Amino acid sequence: MFEDKRWLPTLMVSPVLLLLIVMIGIPSIFVAWLSLTESTLGAQSTFVGLDNYRQIFSDRIFWRATINTFVIVNVVVYAELIIAMLLALALNCKFFGKGLIFSILIAPYAVSEVSAVVMWQYAFEPDVGTFNLLLEQLFGIDFNWSRNPFHGLTLIAILSIWIHLPFTLIILYSAISTVPEDLKSAARIEGATERQVFRLVTFRIIAPAVLIALMFRYIFAMRLFSEAWLLTEGGPARLTEVLGIYLFRSAFRYFDFGPAAATGIAMQFLSLLVASFYLYRLYKGMKANG
Amino acid sequence: MAERYLTIALRFFIIGLGVLWSAFPIYMVVSSSFKTHIDIFAVPSKFLFTPTLDNYRQLLSDWPEFLDGLLNSLIITTGATLLTAIVSLLAGYAYSRYQSRMLTASAFFMILVRMLPPLVVTIPLFPIINWLELNDTHAILIVLYAAFFVSLSTWILKTFIDQIPRELEEAAEVEGASLMQRLIKIILPLSVHGMVAACVFVVVFSWNEYMFALIFTSSAAKTAPLVLAEISGSLEGVQWGVLFAAATLQLAPILIFVLLVQKYIVTGLTAGAVKG
Repeated sequence: MFEDKRWLPTLMVSPVLLLLIVMIGIPSIFVAWLSLTESTLGAQSTFVGLDNYRQIFSDRIFWRATINTFVIVNVVVYAELIIAMLLALALNCKFFGKGLIFSILIAPYAVSEVSAVVMWQYAFEPDVGTFNLLLEQLFGIDFNWSRNPFHGLTLIAILSIWIHLPFTLIILYSAISTVPEDLKSAARIEGATERQVFRLVTFRIIAPAVLIALMFRYIFAMRLFSEAWLLTEGGPARLTEVLGIYLFRSAFRYFDFGPAAATGIAMQFLSLLVASFYLYRLYKGMKANG
Repeated sequence: MAERYLTIALRFFIIGLGVLWSAFPIYMVVSSSFKTHIDIFAVPSKFLFTPTLDNYRQLLSDWPEFLDGLLNSLIITTGATLLTAIVSLLAGYAYSRYQSRMLTASAFFMILVRMLPPLVVTIPLFPIINWLELNDTHAILIVLYAAFFVSLSTWILKTFIDQIPRELEEAAEVEGASLMQRLIKIILPLSVHGMVAACVFVVVFSWNEYMFALIFTSSAAKTAPLVLAEISGSLEGVQWGVLFAAATLQLAPILIFVLLVQKYIVTGLTAGAVKG
């Protein structure tokens, strides 16, 4: 229908593709080469084969960071999923002031990692923070996140959940609000309990959205860096490091780009692994459409 | 009937907890920024207090670079948003109106790169950006921020442009309107909502971003979150108030923005994340 200029669509998408290729595509591939070399600032790089991988895989701190990342990612993603699901179900009815409530619930999306760290540091400041005093008086817990690595990781997880809950909530809430009321009432007339209505009707309809929200959250949660860096810098004694911090420290504190690149490749591999089913489905869909 | 009331009670209990969870940390910091340092750590926390602007005054005298940080953030956010908006509109239009093998392949590529962790690209980019002497400039952050959001924005705009009838454009084409004219006079006005939905994410991201700013800026282009982190890092005892004032100033504009465009965040996320 439009002018038959075959180069036109290519021209129109080229700025976007150029940005993506130059800033993300080429660097992401170039990292693979860097991971096989030894390089630092201002020095000629030399090819070292798989030495960098050997180095990180035999580094206790790398494995500690990997385990920390694995645990935090799973805790954060599933905690968000459960909280967001409960909230989305609770919100799925009409009541006065719902718009305002929804605004408050997604407000943390506007908060930067830095400000969020300030907020939660204040609440959990040893000896004086509101939550710390509560924990101490109610449960006798001395929650000292700057000294106790388990407490540190807990606070990093809480902070991550707090910042990212709006994303999961929005996706689940929109999905749940698309479930037709008739279908649910029909199930109720047939004598289904509320729990059955959720399991057999609502959940089946929102399952694809839940799966995609999960995948995106897994991928984004694995990138965890800022909150953890700002809160503990990986300390004490590098016990609260996550993969992002391990990479950052190798690259920008020790200027040892080889091991940093090897860590980067590991992170890319994990991200693509999680995304693979989604990408595969998308690829098949696109192929089918032409 | 009793069961019904129980469900309603449970509903509001969950929502109440959710509201408390989301709002309490924000409320604490914002309200404490107007407290004297004696009131800040008063036990129990004071809900009624005489507000003071002392913390803000002290912030401006102790940390003049915080204002520069806010200005840098504003410049970078504006730049990244404009860049994202322009290139995504062009690409979103092409994906909506044309079909080709190349477009399909590139659409797949766009989604693929969204999965790659941003931190990883900094390793090869760091020496190159240093070599090009682009570190500590607004431009490098603008380009980086845009690069990580163009695929989402393009996808959102595509779904919006899909809904604009082609007939409108065909009519204009018959009257001799060029592609550029059609884009500016037909597509742009009709996809204003799409533009907002496509841009909110890059606005919020650019205003708040910490990691790239930490790696690629040092003084001239230092953004507000970075200065805020510095204030936090240099904290000694009584300066919490100053930190809260800075956090409030960094947060307030973007929080108001998010609340105003909330509706677009919902449509944008559902269009971009679920379908794209």
